[in-house]
Amino acid sequence: MDFEQDLISDLPQSIIETILTKLPIKDAVRTSILSSKWRYKWATLTQLAFDDKCVTLCNDRAIVENNLANFITRFLFLHDGPIHKFSLSTSYLQSSYDIVQWLLFLSRKDIKELVLELGEGEWFRAPSCLFSCKKLTRLELVRCELDPPPCFKGFFCLKYLNLQQVLIPPDDIECLIASCPLLESLTLSYFDSLELTVSAPNLKHLILEGEFKDICLVNTPLLVFISVAMYMTDDIAEHFEQSSSYNFNKFLGGVPQLERLVGHIYFTKYLSIGNHEGCIPITYYQLKFVELYQVSFDDMKEVLVVLQLIVNSPNLQELQISGFSNASAAIQEAPDLDFWEKRCFIDCTLSRLKTIKMTDVSGVQHEMKLIKFLLEHSPSLETMSITPSLYLTEGRLNMLIDLVSFRRASTQASIIFIHEQV
Amino acid sequence: MSEGPMAVVKPQMKSFIWLQTTDGSIQQVEEDVAMFCPVICQEVLQTGMGSAKNFAISLPQRVNAAMLGLILDYCRFHQVPGRSNKERKTFDEKFVRLDTKKLCELTSAADSLQLRPLVDLTSRALARMIEGKTPEEIRETFHLPDDLTEEEKLEPLRNITDDPRIRLLNRLYARKRKELKERQNLKNIEVEEEQHVDERSVDDLLSFINGGIGDSKGARASKNKRKNRRRKEQPRNSSLNNENGDHKGSNNFSSGCINSDSNNVASPSKTSMSKDMASVIFSPKLGFNEGDIDDELDPAMKEQLDREVEDFARRLNSVWPERMQELLSFGQERRLVPVTINGSGSFKRCTGLDRG
Repeated sequence: MDFEQDLISDLPQSIIETILTKLPIKDAVRTSILSSKWRYKWATLTQLAFDDKCVTLCNDRAIVENNLANFITRFLFLHDGPIHKFSLSTSYLQSSYDIVQWLLFLSRKDIKELVLELGEGEWFRAPSCLFSCKKLTRLELVRCELDPPPCFKGFFCLKYLNLQQVLIPPDDIECLIASCPLLESLTLSYFDSLELTVSAPNLKHLILEGEFKDICLVNTPLLVFISVAMYMTDDIAEHFEQSSSYNFNKFLGGVPQLERLVGHIYFTKYLSIGNHEGCIPITYYQLKFVELYQVSFDDMKEVLVVLQLIVNSPNLQELQISGFSNASAAIQEAPDLDFWEKRCFIDCTLSRLKTIKMTDVSGVQHEMKLIKFLLEHSPSLETMSITPSLYLTEGRLNMLIDLVSFRRASTQASIIFIHEQV
Repeated sequence: MSEGPMAVVKPQMKSFIWLQTTDGSIQQVEEDVAMFCPVICQEVLQTGMGSAKNFAISLPQRVNAAMLGLILDYCRFHQVPGRSNKERKTFDEKFVRLDTKKLCELTSAADSLQLRPLVDLTSRALARMIEGKTPEEIRETFHLPDDLTEEEKLEPLRNITDDPRIRLLNRLYARKRKELKERQNLKNIEVEEEQHVDERSVDDLLSFINGGIGDSKGARASKNKRKNRRRKEQPRNSSLNNENGDHKGSNNFSSGCINSDSNNVASPSKTSMSKDMASVIFSPKLGFNEGDIDDELDPAMKEQLDREVEDFARRLNSVWPERMQELLSFGQERRLVPVTINGSGSFKRCTGLDRG
């Protein structure tokens, strides 16, 4: 009897694993009934990703939670071989003993990448077996409590750490970071009132978001990408006023390899605090992209920060600044306009700057001065786009008049004024 | 670094690399295209082979001439640095529109040449052919033999799904087979008819299990079980009247899932049952759809099932009424009694479940 030859079952296990890993885990398990060869192909998968789609959903939360927990437990029990990646992303499962047991199981399986994203509600308290996963290279936790045991020496292989809404004693977070010598990427989101000193010799990517009282980059020579969003409350603002050293130096003083900088709300304000001497000691030769949001052009110190950053980045290619000013202030004469005449600013040339995007422009004097400065010092500029602030209704014509009068160093520069009908 | 076949030096002359596949064909390929493959690149750099026809690089066994052609097309497109991501994506999507056989061979060939991006691309295409399909469809696509017994199909899932559901299945199987055996003893009916009865009973047994449990799941399931119930009741009435009332109870017992009026057994365990039966609902998803069971029984599975039926019947020793008592009394601990399904809100709420 002629039968068609099995096309797929005899492919090498590595290929089968690649295929099964690209399926939702439920479908991967279902392949066990395809044929005798496929019975346990799924059981040796090394990358497991569980989420709420593993079980049928219904309105009864307890049932879904129970089903999901059962599914994962039974799966792990039937699993055979090492597990390199385990990811659990669910809004149903919350703190439960099952997760503790899974972590214990995984810690014995040489787990390398662990992602736990749990539901709202009581945050999961990570058991101590998590800290005995010696081979961890990637750790992502959302809505958990971390309490490293005193004997914990660090994750020696950890390269990627992402903690979001994680409760951890402030001293421990600094220790944790410092005890991971290979750490290359660090993301901390939604931390409250944290004073953070980051010491990570191999760190390349840093993303911070939350209420930070203080951020100090002590030993981060290889940082390439920084993105910071600082939410401010009143007491943090007060705390800021009391700081003595220049935050700009404290934060950006030790990152010569920086290539990309993104600063969200209050970042420039944060940088501007402190006694500042004349110019910044460090030059950012690699810095190519700068994005700054909510820059208050009413505050001369913030403007100075922006200017110093630009002037110290000779190879800047793309600049994006979003303003945050009080449009009515545009009418009054701004103080301290004379620092624009400083030597170090006048001599600056941004020979690589091609694209500039200014958004939420209110037309205050410092802002217009900055635009003028950029136009005059960018010989390779191709596009400058300007989007006026929504709150600016009357001063747009004046802004345009000023813009038109500015000299341009680049013959190819085109200014695009984005004007929506108000 | 590799010389072309001509001795004349031309400024725009391309270098070629000679490759040989196991099915004997030898071809020359532009150097930058060929070097896109890690294995070829390594071979050239380490051994210096490939510079002339006599020194063609022998490719791994899984690469035949046709596959090599496809792989080189891929390399030729992607090794050009100037292409945009969108262009590459469009090319990739068109590139994997191959028949299944070619796709599998291509995956294998790309893997042996360690061309990881192509392996990922073809694997993703193969995964798309598996995702969301029924087992029959997958077996058809890849020509897989259906060589597992029903038991074996359930086995890994027995452990991975909730116990009560599978135990229920087994018990009902057992009971049905016992009934069939008894019926065989009572009547002397022609083999065919019996087989017909057998088949339908198992058929509707399974569809009942899945259909009954998935009461609220969809028209298809309920249609099946309604159809089967009608068929079931006819032979039942004739042969089972002489059994005692417990048997009737068993009828209710089994169709408790289906009938909305009979819900009178083991009610204290109702609330805990609903939880388990709800978990039972999700388990079929893991293994097979109701449709699978029905479809499978109708064609060539008859013989195998008959064998299994007989096996079960032989193995079964307990008398039915006693068994019935046993099951009824187990209520809470066993978490098995399936009677509570109809009225519990959880099932009503479970409508609209995705069948993936």
